[in-house]
Amino acid sequence: MISLWHFLAVGAALFGLGMVGFLTRRNMITMFLSAEMMLQGVVLNLLAFGRYHGDLSGQVVALFVITVAACEAGLALALFLTLYRHRKTLDADVWQNVRETGVPPTVDTEPLRPEPLGEPMPILPVAGRKPTTPAEETVRA
Amino acid sequence: MPAALNNPVNQLVLAILLGTAGLYLLLPRPKRRSVALGSFLAIAAVAVFGHFINTAFGSPLNHVVGDILFWLFSAVALLFGTILVTQRNPARGAIAFAFVILSTCGLFLLLAAPFLMAATVIIYAGAIIVTFLFVLMLSHQAGPSDENDRTREPLLGSLAGFAFVGLICFTLLQSSGEAQAVLPQPPLTAEDKEILGKVRADFDKALANDGIDEVRQAAFSGRDQLANVVGPGSGSSRKSVTDRLKLMAYDPRSAVMLKQTDNLRTLNTNMEDAILDAQGDVAAMKLAIRPVRDQVVIYSGNGQLPARNVANIGYILYSEHILTVELAGTLLLVATIGAVAIAQRRKGSAA
Repeated sequence: MISLWHFLAVGAALFGLGMVGFLTRRNMITMFLSAEMMLQGVVLNLLAFGRYHGDLSGQVVALFVITVAACEAGLALALFLTLYRHRKTLDADVWQNVRETGVPPTVDTEPLRPEPLGEPMPILPVAGRKPTTPAEETVRA
Repeated sequence: MPAALNNPVNQLVLAILLGTAGLYLLLPRPKRRSVALGSFLAIAAVAVFGHFINTAFGSPLNHVVGDILFWLFSAVALLFGTILVTQRNPARGAIAFAFVILSTCGLFLLLAAPFLMAATVIIYAGAIIVTFLFVLMLSHQAGPSDENDRTREPLLGSLAGFAFVGLICFTLLQSSGEAQAVLPQPPLTAEDKEILGKVRADFDKALANDGIDEVRQAAFSGRDQLANVVGPGSGSSRKSVTDRLKLMAYDPRSAVMLKQTDNLRTLNTNMEDAILDAQGDVAAMKLAIRPVRDQVVIYSGNGQLPARNVANIGYILYSEHILTVELAGTLLLVATIGAVAIAQRRKGSAA
């Protein structure tokens, strides 16, 4: 039998997952989605309490939370657009210079791993002629 | 369905025959095998076997369906939530978020909130599509990039999140013992509800009749039974709802219900006086009975969600929570203006 506590635990887990995403990820779009997931956890709590008290107020507050989430989405996406225009990236860490005074900046020491070379892309041969392998492809192979 | 199939033995035999035939057709062999017919027979065998279990041992599905749906939806939500948080590609993250939304919507349905389920699906479908557009527009990366392949303090961040979840669950664990004993015990017991149903039937009978004696008799019968629920009862040892509510004084809803109970008791007494004063005026009697009857109907619905979800949300939204609606509207307006103000291109800024 599923009780109120089951739903509360799932809501807490959703909230915590979203929190991890919001704290650690650097892409602003992913951070935004994580924040939305936290809100889903909260809404789950509200609905569970409403259900177990036999009270519709929980659903009304949940509706209000969804409204706030919609506002948040509009503002966040507008903000992404503006920030992107300044620095041409979605990375939140390029805005470190607005950090608190006295806090040292975070520096990425570990170099990014380059993408492994995939299969060479197919090349359209000229019709009616036997295809020849381009020079760089033979070198790669 | 033929009557022979209602016998569990026949069902069992049929299920075994169907299963044998189906598996026989499905097993590989050099000659052509019929996968379609075999699968059909196997599925039919499973269905008949399920029916056999149902008739032989009783339905296991009373709670099972809800339980399975709960575990399914929460597992999918958490799985795709993890994918969203750990996925490098934000477009795939948006897809995972769509699945998180869909499964939380399933949980909403389990919590008897169909309107919110629909609203969430509609709103978040739009939100996810817009997010997708933004990913396509702003994040044209070739190869690894800082924003997708690096994380800020991965160890500390995950520790913070999971410590938080751990704390909440620990609190739930601490409180579940005592609170579980309170929550499933509504102030109105099943017995109360049965009595209230009889009261309502009595009042309905009184309202439908025209003979003075019948009206009076039915009304007094309803009055006595109602007194057994809301007090003062006629010498019975039953605890009235008021006593029970006073025991759970820490529940904020009990105050509202206490008021309702007192109101109903007063109405009950007033109705008795009105009927005695009416001196055979049937219309006056009915005028006194009707409000009590309506209050009884409202009162007996305590402790459960109303059936017409959308209508009742609309009602409660525009009666009790009107200020919330106004605030939400204002918030949306302000957010729209703010978004326009933030996103507009200023002269002289970088193109």
